[in-house]
Amino acid sequence: MSTQEHSSTQSVLFSFKTRLLIFFSIFGPATITAMADNDAAGVATYSLVGAKFGYSMLFILLIITFLLAITQEMGVRIAIVTGKGLGDIIRERYGVTMSVFVFVGLFIANTGTVIANLSAIKITAGMFNINSTFFLICIITIATIFIIKGNYKTNQNIFLLSGFFYLTYIVSAFKARPDWNLAISSVFIPQNMHFSKEFIFAAIAVLGTTITPWGQFFVHSYVLDKKIKIDDLKYTQIETYFGAFLTDFFSFFMIVATASTLYAHKISLVSGEQAALAIKPFAGELASVLFGFGILNAGFMGLVVVSLTTAYAFSEFFGVEGSLDKSFGKSKTFYIIFIMQLLIAALIVNIPSVSLFRIVFFTQSLNGILLPAMFFFLLTASNNKDMMGKYINSKWYNYIAIISSIVIIIAAMFTVISNVLGLSNIGG
Amino acid sequence: MLYFSEIEGKKIETEDKIEIGFLEDLVFLASAQPKVTKLVIRSLNKEKIILPFQYVVKINSSIVIKKLYNMAVLVENELFLKKNLLDKQIIDIVGNKIVRVNDVSLQEKISINHYEWYLTGVDVGLFGILRTLKIESFFINCMRFFGIHIAPNLLPWGLIQPLELSRGHVKLNKKEEKLQNLRPEDLADYLEKTNETNVRKFLKILDKNYAAEVVSNLNINYQRSLFQHWEPDKSASVLEMIHPEEAVDILLAISKKRREEILHLVEQQTQEELQLLISLSRTSIGNKLTTEFLTVPSNFTVNDVISSIKKNTADFGFFAAIYVINEKKQLIGVFNLHELLMHNLDTPVYKFMIQNIIEIRLTTPIEIAVRKMLHYRLPAIPVVNNDKQILGIVTFDQVVDYISQKM
Repeated sequence: MSTQEHSSTQSVLFSFKTRLLIFFSIFGPATITAMADNDAAGVATYSLVGAKFGYSMLFILLIITFLLAITQEMGVRIAIVTGKGLGDIIRERYGVTMSVFVFVGLFIANTGTVIANLSAIKITAGMFNINSTFFLICIITIATIFIIKGNYKTNQNIFLLSGFFYLTYIVSAFKARPDWNLAISSVFIPQNMHFSKEFIFAAIAVLGTTITPWGQFFVHSYVLDKKIKIDDLKYTQIETYFGAFLTDFFSFFMIVATASTLYAHKISLVSGEQAALAIKPFAGELASVLFGFGILNAGFMGLVVVSLTTAYAFSEFFGVEGSLDKSFGKSKTFYIIFIMQLLIAALIVNIPSVSLFRIVFFTQSLNGILLPAMFFFLLTASNNKDMMGKYINSKWYNYIAIISSIVIIIAAMFTVISNVLGLSNIGG
Repeated sequence: MLYFSEIEGKKIETEDKIEIGFLEDLVFLASAQPKVTKLVIRSLNKEKIILPFQYVVKINSSIVIKKLYNMAVLVENELFLKKNLLDKQIIDIVGNKIVRVNDVSLQEKISINHYEWYLTGVDVGLFGILRTLKIESFFINCMRFFGIHIAPNLLPWGLIQPLELSRGHVKLNKKEEKLQNLRPEDLADYLEKTNETNVRKFLKILDKNYAAEVVSNLNINYQRSLFQHWEPDKSASVLEMIHPEEAVDILLAISKKRREEILHLVEQQTQEELQLLISLSRTSIGNKLTTEFLTVPSNFTVNDVISSIKKNTADFGFFAAIYVINEKKQLIGVFNLHELLMHNLDTPVYKFMIQNIIEIRLTTPIEIAVRKMLHYRLPAIPVVNNDKQILGIVTFDQVVDYISQKM
């Protein structure tokens, strides 16, 4: 081997190492957003559809992964290229009226999502004989402390650690001894799909719990807060695709865990949170405890990330300082909105007469109304030459993005209309 | 005072009522004097027209322009209000994000030959948002129902760096911490430039204490018309919060009937005090006033002052103090002959003048004037108007009679 060849091999190796380092330095935001998309409400939905429709729902996951990747990538690209959050863009292009409406809508919908997460935590804690009110207070206090005291990096690491615990679902799924051949082939080839009304609603619910307005806002703001340079855009894009894959990688195991136990034994669930206990007879004590722990963890991640989204959005819409890297004194409004969002949700979840089912229902509808608007903003911004320069959507990418958006919008409108007409019965 | 949110989308028509279109944006000069130079009009057939401001005649329910007009193009240093300023992020001098521009306030300047608009500041408060949503007055009424008063949050134009604005940043020339709410004096100045309806509208939404301070800083003509228009109970509650001497000034300026109505509603203790001051004021200072006094600008040296004394005071019957004024003829300092002689000939007077001035007004009762002179051992006391401009002085000689009567 000549020297020249040797050195070129080394430089390839070296540059691979450098690239890996860059990748790890930008790693975080998209993965965290993707993980948070599987919040407790998400886990509940997956458990429910797994129990009700078995492996047949897995094919839908493949489509959702694709849609999630495309939409999140647009958000990330806009954030890095323009240096502006989704809230900034809406305010500067569509004025204060639009901003107020979108923010109020987002705030209410996020309150609903935080409530869903808090109540999932409450129910799961109750099932494991932990005092749920005490547990809630602890979790909210911890969340508040680490958001206010920690900087971006600390918070990101805590989120990533929390994301690591999603591995528990894999253990639960293995303990359930599923038919792996059938499970994996169901992902790529539709199997035993029955296009009943319930199935369509369930598919839309799965889509709606993964692709959310807050998810779009969060990935945008969170990437921005990390201050990633435009040179590293392509690494972040790769991370976004990876994140989308990861979301549904874990969703896969959640569905498998309930499909191979509850669906196989024709046991129906009243609510998704009960899955942790329900799989115990078939998958064993460890799987059950891990599944329950997974829901607690997902709930924690969900409530922090969603509340943080509200705070980021407010800062962007109304122009106050909003960054995890700023102290409480410098970014007061940002942190106060975060705490307010948590407390309002915590207050509502503890009112006994409030029907959680109705709140989830209402939140779904509101998200369904907000999503089309979100995609309108994303598509117009990512096609704006003045803002995006050479990073504008390419022709084919744009077609794919528009088709994806239309699919999501149709699904969202479907939820809204059916909720208004009272047709849907998923979750019940 | 106008707000952009109130005029955006207003109909534009010529003097002979031909409709042109709707106001879409304004063009202004990015400078310390942000004059509105052009209107951007969306015409009835959806075309964009840029019209020089000189063709604007007036604004009422619509914006009226001259019959014959030409279009224009943008020149250097011109910016669009809506496109370049409204909704933009405001940062302070070190780059902290503060808030966004929620609305922009404008002011009309009317003279016989000229009609102009200027940007006066940006609204960064909640009201700016509510105004755009058209629910400002509804919200104010709701808040008032619960007894909550919120002050509007305006940043005066002087805080914004025009140069940075042309570069696309709304950047302030101060740090965020130093940015307080508008001082009452500044707000009063600002309000005096607008019409009375606006002043009333504005004061209605202010916190009571703050409003009282603003009122006491307004000039007497505004004060008079405010108290003439306000409900007596409102007047009374504002009066209770401002300095009694100023309150008397106002009360003396309005009609007797109105004065009685208002006084009747004022809290007992304040009422007695005000009654006393009013009765004293009948022996007003006016006929004790002399215009034999010397004023000098603050940059005069001792030498200048001495030659000024030689030149101007030859026929003075009484001469004890020299008063220092600024460019606006406002009283800013005082010194006596002894202090003058103690300094070198080339020392400017602002180095040794006393800035803490004891002064009275035309409406100050003579008893109070005398009390002040005795208390501060003053041979003479200056009388100023509301703008702090010196009108004359009351000397000890002239009040000796009054004192001997009392003894």
